Amino acid sequence: MTAPGDSFDALARDLQALFGRGVGGCVLGDDEFNGWALRVFRWQLASNAAYRGYCAGRGATPGSVARWEDIPPVPTSAFKHVRLFSAGQGREPEAVFRTSGTTGGADRRGEHPVASLALYRAALLPAFRAHAVPERGRLPILALIPSSDDAPHSSLAYMVATAMRELGDERSAWLAGADGALDEARLVAALRGAEAAGRPVLIAATAFALVHALDLLAREDTRVQLPRGSRLMETGGFKGRSRVVERDQLYAAVHARLGIPEERIVNEYGMTELLSQFYEPVISAPTTAAAPLAERFHVAPPWVRTRVLDPVTLATLADGSPGLLCHLDLANAGSVACVLTEDMGVVVPGGIRVLGRVPGAEPRGCSLAAEELLKAVRR
Amino acid sequence: MSVRIDPLPKEIARVRVARLDALARHGARARAELLGRAGARLLDPTDPLRMEAEERLPQKSGLSPAMARAVIEGMARDWTAARLLGLLEAEFPDPDVLDRFVPGPQGRLVRAIAPALSLHIGAGTVPGVTATSIIRALLVGSAAVWKIVPSDYALTRAFLGALLKEAPELAAMSTGVGWEGGAVPDGVGILFDEADLVVVYGGDETVRSVRERLPVTTKLVAYHHRLSAAVLGRDALAGDALAAAADAGAHAVAMFDHRGCVSPHMIFVEEGNGGSARDFAVALAAALERLRHSLPVGTLSPAEGSAVQQLRGGMEMRAAAGEPIEVHAARDGSWTVLLEPPGAIAPCLGRTVRVHPVTDVHEAVKHLTPVGPHLQTVGVAGLDGARLEELANALGEIGAIRICPLGDVAFPPPWWHHDGQGPLRSLVRWVDLES
Repeated sequence: MTAPGDSFDALARDLQALFGRGVGGCVLGDDEFNGWALRVFRWQLASNAAYRGYCAGRGATPGSVARWEDIPPVPTSAFKHVRLFSAGQGREPEAVFRTSGTTGGADRRGEHPVASLALYRAALLPAFRAHAVPERGRLPILALIPSSDDAPHSSLAYMVATAMRELGDERSAWLAGADGALDEARLVAALRGAEAAGRPVLIAATAFALVHALDLLAREDTRVQLPRGSRLMETGGFKGRSRVVERDQLYAAVHARLGIPEERIVNEYGMTELLSQFYEPVISAPTTAAAPLAERFHVAPPWVRTRVLDPVTLATLADGSPGLLCHLDLANAGSVACVLTEDMGVVVPGGIRVLGRVPGAEPRGCSLAAEELLKAVRR
Repeated sequence: MSVRIDPLPKEIARVRVARLDALARHGARARAELLGRAGARLLDPTDPLRMEAEERLPQKSGLSPAMARAVIEGMARDWTAARLLGLLEAEFPDPDVLDRFVPGPQGRLVRAIAPALSLHIGAGTVPGVTATSIIRALLVGSAAVWKIVPSDYALTRAFLGALLKEAPELAAMSTGVGWEGGAVPDGVGILFDEADLVVVYGGDETVRSVRERLPVTTKLVAYHHRLSAAVLGRDALAGDALAAAADAGAHAVAMFDHRGCVSPHMIFVEEGNGGSARDFAVALAAALERLRHSLPVGTLSPAEGSAVQQLRGGMEMRAAAGEPIEVHAARDGSWTVLLEPPGAIAPCLGRTVRVHPVTDVHEAVKHLTPVGPHLQTVGVAGLDGARLEELANALGEIGAIRICPLGDVAFPPPWWHHDGQGPLRSLVRWVDLES
């Protein structure tokens, strides 16, 4: 089965052109987005037998789906078991990104085969630029994560590497080792250097790494006043790690130890299974930066649309009702575009608010907790 | 029964006195009789307390009204005088041993002493667990302080309300205390200091935290996480037996919306004689679809719903990618049957069950071995005589507690060896009087 007139190269080229219009200039109307989504859907049905079978099982064929909302979503768990690759015959992935493997109870990591890194770069850069580096010019990007050389399967590392190359200057640096541990001496030196240089920097960190960096500064009783205009992009929750810190406390500590105020801290919401990212519009839209943390929300680039679904029936919920986030990301043209997450969220005016990972099954007695049983099985 | 306790030490003193009073008036058999009268009221659909329980249970537990009725019926059946006397006699050849010294083996006299004060911490997964725990305590003669668990409150309240009418002196031996979460707040620490025995249902973490909180001399009866399964011999696939096994399996999966320790998560099906696991999976799916109407599913949490959708979608994709998997599922997500080769044991939430083909029932034992310490009930069909006994021996060796007909898994009889222990014997302490 082939999609007449389409190939991955043609699709990727057209999408790159679309993404190249940027997140401000490229506003997709409903019909236009629908057209793109259906083109990607038809391509994926044509080139991915597993997805075709999956959709057929749910009654979705090229002829039966006319609205992007009817495209069957693929749960993130499927990335753990099946290679979801839609790039046409004879093509191999240019990269395979892996999930961090911290999903509760999962004994396998999800894998996202990437057909075109150029398409990934085309998708990630406009949003990164808009929400983290909207001004012209380059600045030092200090990454508190393992480098893309040390972590070739990390989509986050690839994203930050791309941002460093396109938006960073020569003082950009990776400040964590392959195991994720911070290079403490270099981190403190880089922060001191930035303070002395008097030019704004961008820190990119996972929330987890950030907590450790702040612990380090506190331990050494070090406070840095990063130059005005510096900003922090933090991503990821704590995903079952040992320490969980409330967000307001974390941001207050960032302000106290690094001198970056809350309104210059942007949370990024992304996942290995999606090649586009969501950001809080605080640097890009200073009016929303003043809002309390609880009122913050995320925006997607125009080539992503999100539905909120009833967790049990997967019916689309009305705006304002919390449910599972289901994204359709055109940048996923080479894998599967419509992805059902395990994240709870809600549609709010202007974007989505991510409420967090759906809570695991409560520890209930006279029953089971999947995680505990899996632990027992592994022993 | 009272609910708000202020102050707690006074309330503890009150139930201790009430216990002495009640024990002076009623021996063990008389208590079984009185407790049974209260239980019988809940079997009467016209009794106001039963009606109130039927109304409240769905609100608090998330079960559908039909399921709530089935749970009340199933639980209260074991709370009648006949069943409770049966329990007493199954546990103690001479139940008078709970009241006084009676002749024991080797010419000595023996007596079973109940803990003066016991603390009961239910889990809230399955309604009726708290009430059952209280009934066992009152039966052996222990004052019972119980944790108020919202999802299990309606049925506890209904039983104790009935007991208050039938035998207020026994109802006075118990009191409920509310606190949040699994951890033990300082305010109720006195319960842990004063209790002679603690019964706890909960996750391994909850059990661990309770154990750490207790004085070393305090006895703990802990019911930790459990997982159940089913094994079908090939005779269960022939003719009428197939439909019967499918109905029994569906009932076991659907009951308590699959949240019970007895709920089977995987069903091993021995293929042969022209029968296949696929035949069973198809019949099971049809039976679950029928139960969707007659015993509707209640409210699933977002976590349960999400877990089901992730599992179901992932399995559908694997099937589409060519793995030997079939997914049968309700359109509304309320039940799922997964047919797949046996492999690692992975529990599933919601009315979701895995059907695994095997060539011999003993393969099931091999696959269940890793979860042996958590294995509880194994429902069986199509097996009898030496084959059944051989399988039961092997399952018992790896950790199974109870092997029973598939149709009976949901409600163990009151005298079952609950997680391997006598339900009343585990509560008492023995005293020998040697001459």
